[in-house]
Formats: sequence, C-alpha cells, structure tokens
Amino acid sequence: MMKNIEKYRSAFMDALELEEDQVSEELALGETREWDSLGHMILISTMEEVFEVSIDAEWMTEFDSYKAGKELLNRLGVDFVNE
Amino acid sequence: MTFISIEFLLFFAGIVFTYYLIPHKWRWILLLAASYSFYATLSGYFVLLLVISTVFTYFTGIVIEKQETKQQKKRAMLVGICVLLFFLGWFKYFNFVNDSIRAISTYMNWNYAIPYQEIILPLAISFYTFQAVSYLVDISRGKQKAERHYGYFSIYFAFFPQLVAGPIERAKKLLPQFKVEQTLNYDNISYGMKRIAWGFFKKTLIADRLAPIVASVYDSPDPTGSQIVLATILFSVQLYADFSALSDIAIGCARMHGIRLTENFKQPHFATSIGDFWNRWHITLSTWLRDYIFMPLCKGKKKRSEIYVAIIITFLISGVWHGAAWTFVLWGLIHGFYRAFGDHTKHFRGKMATFIHLDQSPSLHKWMKITTTFLLVCFSRVFFRSDSVTAAFEHAQQFLSPSSWSPSGIIGAFEMFSLLDLMIFSFFFIVMQLFHYIERNNTSTWNWLSQRPAVARFAVYVLIVVSVLVFGATGQGFVYGGF
Repeated sequence: MMKNIEKYRSAFMDALELEEDQVSEELALGETREWDSLGHMILISTMEEVFEVSIDAEWMTEFDSYKAGKELLNRLGVDFVNE
Repeated sequence: MTFISIEFLLFFAGIVFTYYLIPHKWRWILLLAASYSFYATLSGYFVLLLVISTVFTYFTGIVIEKQETKQQKKRAMLVGICVLLFFLGWFKYFNFVNDSIRAISTYMNWNYAIPYQEIILPLAISFYTFQAVSYLVDISRGKQKAERHYGYFSIYFAFFPQLVAGPIERAKKLLPQFKVEQTLNYDNISYGMKRIAWGFFKKTLIADRLAPIVASVYDSPDPTGSQIVLATILFSVQLYADFSALSDIAIGCARMHGIRLTENFKQPHFATSIGDFWNRWHITLSTWLRDYIFMPLCKGKKKRSEIYVAIIITFLISGVWHGAAWTFVLWGLIHGFYRAFGDHTKHFRGKMATFIHLDQSPSLHKWMKITTTFLLVCFSRVFFRSDSVTAAFEHAQQFLSPSSWSPSGIIGAFEMFSLLDLMIFSFFFIVMQLFHYIERNNTSTWNWLSQRPAVARFAVYVLIVVSVLVFGATGQGFVYGGF
C-alpha cells in the first residue's frame, strides 16, 4: 500500500503531468508551466479525491507550494509522518 | 434620491452626525431606518420585497445551522437558495425567458399564448440576492454562524452605502464590523470624504460627460465604423468611471461610519490578460462567482478541457447576472472564450514572444499585453452596450473592420464632441490618469497626497470639489444601478 507521501507526489505527477524528477520540495504555484491557476484547480480536485478531504476556497490559495500543500493536508488530518 | 444629489449628501451628513451622537446599542436601528428609507426613495414599495427576502434569509440561516448532518444542511440551503432565486428570476428574468420562448414558438409555428408582462425590476435585487446566497452557503459549509440578532442581520442585507450596487460583501467581513462600537475617528471621516469626492469627480466629470456622446453613436441608426470604435473605447472609460465611482462613494460612506468595505477595482484597464482583468474589475462579483460557481463546478475535474467548460459556464452566469438579455449572454460567452482560449494558447504566445525577442523588452511586452487586453475588453463591450443582438453583431462587425481604425476616420469621429466638451473631458481624463499613475507607483494616492505640503494637498481637494460644482454633469443614473 502506498504511503501518504507517495500518494502526495503521485497526485502532483498525475494532476500536473509532471515527471517524477520534476516533483521536488521547491515546487511552487506559478513557477512552472504546468502549475498555473487552472492546473491548480486540477491539483486541488486530485488531492481531494486521493486523500478524501474537502479543501475550501480560502484554503486553496494557501496551497501555493509543495511544502504548503503538505502542511495544509496535515491540518486536514492527513498524516505524513506517523503513518 | 441618488448618490449624486444634494439630497443624498444632506441625508448622509444627518445620518453620520446622528450615528456618532447616539449610543452604540441604538445605532443598528438608525442604520436600518436609514437603509430602508434610502431604498424606499429609489424603489418604492419594493422595500417590502427587501424585508421579505431579509426575513426569509434570516430564518433559513438558522434552520440550516440547526440541521444535524451535512446532507440535511445542504438540502435546507438548496431550498433557501431556490426561493431567493425564484424572487430574482420572477422579477428579472421572467420576460427574458418568456420572450425567448415566444420567439422560438413563432419561428417553429407553435402556439404560445403568454404575453409580455409589465414587471418592474426591484433595484439592487441582484446584489442583495447574491449576498444572501453567499450567507446561506457559508452557513451550510460551516464557515459562518447564523446571525441571531435580527437588526444586525438586516443591516448586512440592506446597508445603504453598498445596497444599490455593491461591493458584494460576505457576512463574515461585514457583520462583525456592525457589532463593534465605532468611535468618531478623524482619519475615517477624512478618508471617507475624500473617497466620496473622488467618486463624484469620476461620475460627474468623466462618466456623465461621456454618456450622451456614447449614446449618440449607439442610438444612431447608421453610425460609421470609426464612430463605433471611438464610442466603444469611450464607453469603456465611461463604464469604469461610472461603476468605480459608485464603489468609491459606497466605500467612502461606509468608512465614515467606521465600516471598511472591500475594494472593487484595481485599475482594470491596465490588466495584462483577461484573467488579470477579472482580478481587477468588479472584484467582489468575480470572487463571488469564483467561490460559489466556478470552484464547485471544478470539483472532481481532472482535465483542462473540463475546467474550460466550468469557466465558460461561470462567465455565462456572470453575463446573465448583468442583464436579462441575449446581448449579456453573448458578452459572458465572449469572456469565457477569451479566458479559455487565452489559457490554451499561453505557452504558444510565450514562445512567439521569445521568437521575436519581445521578451527582451519587458516594458514594451507589458504595454502590448495591456493594449491587447483593453481592446479585447472593448470588443466584448460592444455586446454589453448594444440594445439588441442584431445591433450588437452589426456594431461588432464595424468594430472589427480595418477601415474603421483608419487614423483619419478616428480623428473625424471626434466631431461627436464639441470643442469645449472635448477640452473639458480631456483635462479631467488626464487628472484621473495622473491619479492612477501615482497609485501604480505608490500603494495609495491618498497616502501619497497626505505626505505633500498642506497647500498642495488642499489645492487638489479644492480642484476636485470646484470641478464637480462647475463642470460636473448630472442626470444620468449609474449603469450598474440597473442590475
């Protein structure tokens, strides 16, 4: 069974059509061609489906980087450390 | 009693004076009485509809909150929204739908008996209905508590500075401000007065001076192509000056009560893309549509093509919200297409800019984007301004014709101005652009101005007030007041 962090990376690859080596801790909204405002909507939909959470409109703007996304999901109950 | 009148200024001065004179616990009564009185002067008996909508939304909010499961909350919310949209639909869209069905029936040789109905549109119904919908949705989502104080809730629904044409506020932002005891504050009074004066400036010296000139072309049976081009560009300036003036006055009036409303405009005609334009134009409507239409439509969407469909539906709703006519539907569709097409071609356009070395001149590149965006917005406004679909297509064809853009034709089209009108408009247009220029280089022109010597500062204030009194044109309602 995939760990949450693997699911998280995989969601980035699926939603933004990125290669594995393109998904890094430095990945941020607007800094790559794929992660633009519309790509962001697809990414949010994918994360909601993968982790079975609901990401509100006001939180969407918080999810502006790979790191920030992990922190947000963590607050929504997704455990990346003690799974 | 419209914003641009001595009656309103006297009424408003009386309200502000009394507001700070009476204890905080009675202020909601004053604001509510002022709001209903103001609305009654504009829309007469429809104040009753406003009260009914308020009562209905107030109790529906409580009912939603009392539901135990998410599913039950959602069901109660949907019932509430359907009722609110029924009111809106009946008054605003009945004849639009009725006329459309009749036209189709005539074309198909069907028998359709329902005649045109004389239905008057209650003022501001689109604005307060959207506020009500956001309130109910936010309660259902658990982001807003149902307000139990009926008085405060009623002011949220009908606060007179923003009732007529926004900004469309969320309960989460506005309600707590009414509950805080506001004290008389020099900065709030001073800033509010400046914003109101600036609103009067834009409305009476730009918008209302342009309105008859634009109308003379759009109401003409046979305008030339160059006249359509010039009138459409001027209409864009008029619409911005008109609507942003309304927001300025609303923000200024609210601030004088210590209430901060959301900014509705950020120099939209300096946007570098259509997406950027909608982040700067009627911001509170754009964010409303984003949060309550676009994002729910995007749920579960995994492909760009699906997001494009959501964009187009959102803009169609925006078009229909603006007016019950096919011209507005087309206007919304055009913006949806712009936004989707712009996204789809973004990388190709980036490559083209690199290929022709445009990216090596960032300033030139930026101004080209600004110009292109402005012209695209102007083209869409041909549909916004035209009285019928047939006229809109004729005007659009003229707008797109290269011969309409000949310099001699455009210069000739300026004949629609008298020399004096042209000089007066040009002067005040330059003043407005100077104001914008300062704002682009500083965070706020008013802050920048407050750091100038007192003489310079007061010269500007006197210029604004005297200009309005001497050269201000009045008599036109606000364009967005009709929505």
